Amino acid sequence: MGILFVLVPLSLVLVGLAVGIFVWMARSGQFDDLDNPRHRLPDDEDAPPPAGARRRG
Amino acid sequence: MSRAAPTDWRVYDRPELLETVSFERRDGLREALVALEALHCAACVARLEKRLAGQVRALSVNLPARVVEFAWDPRAVPLSRILNTLDEAGFAPRVLAQVQDARAAIAERRAAVSRIGVAALCGMQVMMLAWRSYFVGGGDGSALDDLLRWAQWVLATPAVLYAGWPFFRGAARAFSERALNMDVPVALALAIAYLASAWRTVSGHGEIYFDSATMFVLFLSVGRFLEGRTRARAAERLRLLAESQPLSARRRTPAGGVEEVPIGRLAVGDEILVAPGEAVPVDGVLMADPAELDEALVTGESRPVRRAPGERALAGSLNAGARPLTLRVEAVGGATTLSQLARLLARAQGERPRFQQLADRLAGHFILAVLVLAALGAWFAWRHGPDAALSVALAVMVASCPCALSLAVPTAFAAASSRLAAAGVLVARPEALGRLPHIDTVLFDKTGTLTHTELTVRRFEALGDEPAGRCWELAAALEKGFHHPIARALGKRGTAVVACAVRNDAQGVAGIVGGREYRLCAPEQLADLPAPARAILASSGAAACTWVVLAQGQGALALFGLAAAPRPEAAAVIDDLTARGLKPELLTGDAEPAARRLAHEVGIACVRARQTPADKLAYLQALQREGRRVLAVGDGLNDAPFLAAADVAVAMPQGAALAQARADVILTGGSLAGLPQLLDTARLALSRMRENLAWALLYNLAVLPLAMGGWLKPWMAALGMSLSSLLVVANALRLPAARRSRTGRGAVESLESRHATELG
Repeated sequence: MGILFVLVPLSLVLVGLAVGIFVWMARSGQFDDLDNPRHRLPDDEDAPPPAGARRRG
Repeated sequence: MSRAAPTDWRVYDRPELLETVSFERRDGLREALVALEALHCAACVARLEKRLAGQVRALSVNLPARVVEFAWDPRAVPLSRILNTLDEAGFAPRVLAQVQDARAAIAERRAAVSRIGVAALCGMQVMMLAWRSYFVGGGDGSALDDLLRWAQWVLATPAVLYAGWPFFRGAARAFSERALNMDVPVALALAIAYLASAWRTVSGHGEIYFDSATMFVLFLSVGRFLEGRTRARAAERLRLLAESQPLSARRRTPAGGVEEVPIGRLAVGDEILVAPGEAVPVDGVLMADPAELDEALVTGESRPVRRAPGERALAGSLNAGARPLTLRVEAVGGATTLSQLARLLARAQGERPRFQQLADRLAGHFILAVLVLAALGAWFAWRHGPDAALSVALAVMVASCPCALSLAVPTAFAAASSRLAAAGVLVARPEALGRLPHIDTVLFDKTGTLTHTELTVRRFEALGDEPAGRCWELAAALEKGFHHPIARALGKRGTAVVACAVRNDAQGVAGIVGGREYRLCAPEQLADLPAPARAILASSGAAACTWVVLAQGQGALALFGLAAAPRPEAAAVIDDLTARGLKPELLTGDAEPAARRLAHEVGIACVRARQTPADKLAYLQALQREGRRVLAVGDGLNDAPFLAAADVAVAMPQGAALAQARADVILTGGSLAGLPQLLDTARLALSRMRENLAWALLYNLAVLPLAMGGWLKPWMAALGMSLSSLLVVANALRLPAARRSRTGRGAVESLESRHATELG
């Protein structure tokens, strides 16, 4: 059972890290748009050829 | 749309305009939002990033919306240089004004998401650590037990204090207003559970409730988030549509040159130029040439209006002619018609009666009862010691917290919103769904709502010997390449002949086809119209159309009557609404005959023509005073005050940005067919909501005696409360399935999976 005295504090650190990462993701707008990205694939089919092919004169 | 002159981006470096289009961050950098018309694909994004490297920081690209957001250092790089780079790279930049409200809404949403994340992550860990006490029982004073208690305290602290902060804040606000809201028992239960647990962790004995507290916070936060989700989406739309007015104007200098200045710099009496296709920035008087103005945004009139020199051009109207206009500025800033409309709108918005949610009313009574009962239960249990009293008080507050009650409404509405979104109906304000089943009158605007915004040829009358096909060809050849609505209607037909030496003047269009000169003009321009043409124009139905005559010399060949065609689904939708017992009415700024004719075509009996925005608002309010519940369907800025005052407002997507932002529901599918679906789904959502409320009440009443008697431990109460909430959510999600059997429409599976991810 002694190992728990190491593992429990360790888990606290890990949770702290996970919380930190999640909050940073939320603050940077990662979860702002949960609806549109799934439409992106069909959008791509209508896209013109890559930029190199239609560079301005 | 090509610009008449290359834009002078330096205007954006002026302090007054810089303040409008960007804001200063705490680190001294400024942030701006720019729409890029020519941003299509990932390769474009890569090119963009390469071009802007070194000039901007924190570049974020929203590819579907074609908007970039970036920060730059105004001391090192002027905004104009960045815009110039974008322009030269062919991205066609357009600077968007900052909308402070929308920014706040986004920040709020981000905070809500991170609160849920913190509550979920910490809550899971707390429950893991609490597991031992469920079996062994806590408070045995061993070192392991102490370790687990302290660890739970550490984990529960951010969950309760950070994630639960909105509840404490809400409760504090309620107290300061001497009122009771849902936040009061929540905050009280959280505070008692947290403080008692913390005290017992320090003292080393007694039961702790960190697990119940964190679970409680998590479920409540998810409910709150679902409720606010769709509203945040509308704010995001508003942010992207923020550019309803131009921010700069081209002013003629005394020296005869032209300079680009911010609107704020214009003074009454200045002369400004407006290029074809551009919006008029401020109200002004036309100087030299007659103009064709598209005033749809200001007056709702879809056809371009011809204005002679000396007449007024209103801010927000588009120069629909082929030549740049010269205007003398007559009103600036708050004095323009557009600003006055916006003020009218704000007033109507303020007068809107606050919708009181059914759940809030119910919960209000419930909360007082819960608090009293918790106190009573604790008082009875006191004879078994303070531990038992605390346990009973917590169990009562948690078990019978109106949590399922608070989820009952938003989840049913969120499910309905998603169901509707897949059918092309965006619900911007979910609480409007609750008002929909009580609607008894539907007011329609005409142009753009019941009709298409584009004109089409509704009537054709041949006058000369030329066959009809030839007349159509000639008209199309003459109008090819022009952009105003009449030209678009006539010129879209394919043609084998080509007109040369085409010229467009105040009298109409003229050109040479096959060696003969033809012209298209208003009938009044032709000196002697043949008698049949006069008869047609004098007939009763004629006023519903804009007439154009095709002539060779002075001889008329054909008459074209143009009007906006009613939407194909309009008649069926009106029938459907009438069959439901609703009364459709038509309110329009157009002339009487046009309005009557359209109303007859789509089956509306009650028509009011020649209505100004103020008339529409007054009529609507008169109806409301009679006790009628009004659904308004409109489009365009002139409808906005009227939409804002309606019980439920529905906007068509072509409408001005402002009208959409104020509408409760937006028909993103661009079809009126969304209306019956909206009514059906709202009715279903309301019945789901009632079932949910009934269940939540039943559960709370059943569990209350158990909690009062001390049979229910706080953790059981939290579990029961959570299961009850889940049941409520699951019931709300039954909504799409119920619709599938009725209509057989697809997209249901994707909705269900979306909800699973939202709630999971």
